[in-house]
Amino acid sequence: MTERKRLEDYAEDIYTCNRTRCGFCREQCPVYHVMAYETYSCRGKMLVGRGLIEKTLSPSEEMTQILDRCLHCGLCQARCALHNLDIITSMRREMVQGGFSTPVHRENVQRILTEGRLLDARAAPERQGQISLYVGCVYRSKPRELATALSVLERLDIHPLIGDETCCGYIVDATGFDKEFEEVQEQFKRTYQQFQAPEILTLCPTCTITLREKYGLPVKHAIVAVAEQLRKRPGAVKRLGFRATYHDPCHLGRMLGVFEEPREILHQLGIELVEMENNRYFSICCGGGGGVNAVDQDLSIEIAKNRVRDAIRMGVEIITTVCPTCEPTLLRAAARLAPEVGTFVDVQGLWDLLDKALQ
Amino acid sequence: MDAEQVHKAFGELREILGHRASTSPVHRMAYSRDWSPRHRQMNDLPDIVVIPRDTQEMVRITKVAYRHGIPLVPFAGGTGMGGGAVAWNGGIMVETKGLNHILEIDDQNMTATVQSGITIEVLNSELARHRLWLPHQPESKRACTIGACIGCDNDSTFGIRYGKIRDCLLNAVIVTGRAEAIRVGQRKASFSSTGYKVLDLLIASEGTLGTITEATLRVVPLPEAREVRGYVCRRLNDTAKGLERLLGSGLAIESAHANCRNRLHFYTHSYREKYGREPQLPEWADAILFLSFAGDSDIVAFNVDKASRIMVDEFKAEPVSEQELVEGWWDSKHRLEFIPFKQKWPDSQRQKKFGAADLGLPIGRLEEGYHRYLEIAKKWDQEILGMTIYNESPNKATASISFAVFVDDSSQDTVRKFYQYVREMSEMAIELDGTMSTYIGDGDRLGGFNQLEHGPGLKYMRRIKRIFDPKNIMNPGKKFRSRWIEYDQGEHR
Repeated sequence: MTERKRLEDYAEDIYTCNRTRCGFCREQCPVYHVMAYETYSCRGKMLVGRGLIEKTLSPSEEMTQILDRCLHCGLCQARCALHNLDIITSMRREMVQGGFSTPVHRENVQRILTEGRLLDARAAPERQGQISLYVGCVYRSKPRELATALSVLERLDIHPLIGDETCCGYIVDATGFDKEFEEVQEQFKRTYQQFQAPEILTLCPTCTITLREKYGLPVKHAIVAVAEQLRKRPGAVKRLGFRATYHDPCHLGRMLGVFEEPREILHQLGIELVEMENNRYFSICCGGGGGVNAVDQDLSIEIAKNRVRDAIRMGVEIITTVCPTCEPTLLRAAARLAPEVGTFVDVQGLWDLLDKALQ
Repeated sequence: MDAEQVHKAFGELREILGHRASTSPVHRMAYSRDWSPRHRQMNDLPDIVVIPRDTQEMVRITKVAYRHGIPLVPFAGGTGMGGGAVAWNGGIMVETKGLNHILEIDDQNMTATVQSGITIEVLNSELARHRLWLPHQPESKRACTIGACIGCDNDSTFGIRYGKIRDCLLNAVIVTGRAEAIRVGQRKASFSSTGYKVLDLLIASEGTLGTITEATLRVVPLPEAREVRGYVCRRLNDTAKGLERLLGSGLAIESAHANCRNRLHFYTHSYREKYGREPQLPEWADAILFLSFAGDSDIVAFNVDKASRIMVDEFKAEPVSEQELVEGWWDSKHRLEFIPFKQKWPDSQRQKKFGAADLGLPIGRLEEGYHRYLEIAKKWDQEILGMTIYNESPNKATASISFAVFVDDSSQDTVRKFYQYVREMSEMAIELDGTMSTYIGDGDRLGGFNQLEHGPGLKYMRRIKRIFDPKNIMNPGKKFRSRWIEYDQGEHR
């Protein structure tokens, strides 16, 4: 499990970045790309971090606003050898400890602490089964999407056991609420005895990485289990036969290394896959990560529009993905972008495609 | 900086740019240094940061600076090694990356017209759709912009075939210190014999004459195939002589770099990461010459074969037996593709900082220069990193040399020792009929001291500066003053 350190503990990394200045993290940072100030890039933040360590800068509302606009997508870290995400998180912690935090994050944290979840639970999926499945707040708030995913799993002889659960607390940790995250972890552990299982399936990439890194649980994203089942059953799905690109969700791809299984499934579905230029480890965030969509929807949409433009550049009109955040974020942006570019790019979730192909 | 003038100027800049002008200490901190060696806690904070989107906005910004007598410092990739992009005297930092549009790709005439803040990598990814590329390729291409290439006259991996930025540059727009936007150069033609070559003045001007906002570049077809090879040489001078011989034979060489033994280590990070072993070279080896060949596959194959025969037969060199080693070097030099989460540069600079004297020497004096480098580095307590010879002029062996050291940046005193090293290396370059700088520029280090190289010419350079920038607001101090090297003209008389 990852250890939470203080900003000063990263001083060596920060000085290393300051003296290296390669800027490899900067150009593709989706936030920097829209906001244009160096400060929004990881390299710029490392200088701000130095200012905090050396006390030439102090936590402020403005610094909080800048740090809150980091997607935590990890693209900078993929281009680097430093612990960029941990450093940015520790800077966010400095803000919270200094009394600065965005109201919407405070409300979300409070809600998770009191209600055990980030979003309204509209689905009640508890059931007996053979393999533990952690649903997560986002899927619990989306009954149709959840029903589709569960139906696909059942049809492939994967029978999920779903019990009571509370929020994994990703957003609490990522936005710097250190003490509150400890409480969330305790809350999570109290309600989740079924996680003693040798393997736990998950649906949300963000929950997957959190359960693995913050709780040390043996998780596997359900799409990997689906790919394994389909390998054993060639011809189990009908071919849908269209042309599309695949958007790698940051947490599923870059962080967990699940790149090939979704592509393998798309291949079995007879979908002609056209890769966007930035794919796999270097995929660009949809704009919905790190709590950015909660604090700045305009920024989130602009970032998502840029990702849709990546698809348009490759001449495709369908993006497929497998993340409950990426899918609506990209779809919303595609709708906003359509009048500007004269092309509507549809966004289709992999669970929906599997649902059609298994009928 | 006069706080009242800064305050007034900021108000006017806000009117023009809205949120694209800031005095926030957070933003200012993010623009407080480039890649030049300095004490790790040193900051050069600008007073204001602005992000123009086009030439007209740059004109308006410059008018404000002119009116209030506030310095304007252009900032691009922030990877310069000479302190050129730091606001040493405060003032307005111009984030040029807001000028990032491609204005035209003209396939017919093989040109690209761009705003100056676009990076080499982004431009080339767009050009690749047209099967074209800009062959000016510094190692910093992911961050480095077209404006920075012009303003800093940086190195290019493919210099031996295509030259440097000057060889690609057809025209450019500069907003001078008089707040006038002028396009200089020869439109889309490659040459012009009319007028003075004002376009040439922009090369290595480091923002001291004005801010470059647009440029038109000659681009070339993407090659079909490329092969890279390495040759272990017995003497450093063999690398230059060998190269001359290869070119004399009629071979087309796309890139040529010679490394001393020490420097090879720095460039083989991805090899060590991938294969888990150290690169092995024969004991007798003094240097290693890396060559790349590009074009149609059959021509490339012929070039590789012929070059290998010449190097082995005539110079008793050995081809590098492990091609993985060569590919690892090429990863660092050109592809910049490292294992994700294992980028090379940060790890190499965890304890100390990369620093270099970037001299140009006549090609017959490489070994002499190398031995002097070892002595001078030792004298100033600099940890030797090694020497790389770049060839930056089309179809001839040249010697643009990075004499690199690891700089201890833990105190002002140790950093000063590095600049004493740079000073003495520069003096050595002049003594050997060379030049003090071939790709870093003067920045905040060689100004004034560069009189040793230019003599009375420096006086004319000051006059040129005054024509473009009568109020000395354009990156003041750079090129004409050093904050690191004291220079007494009497010393060298």
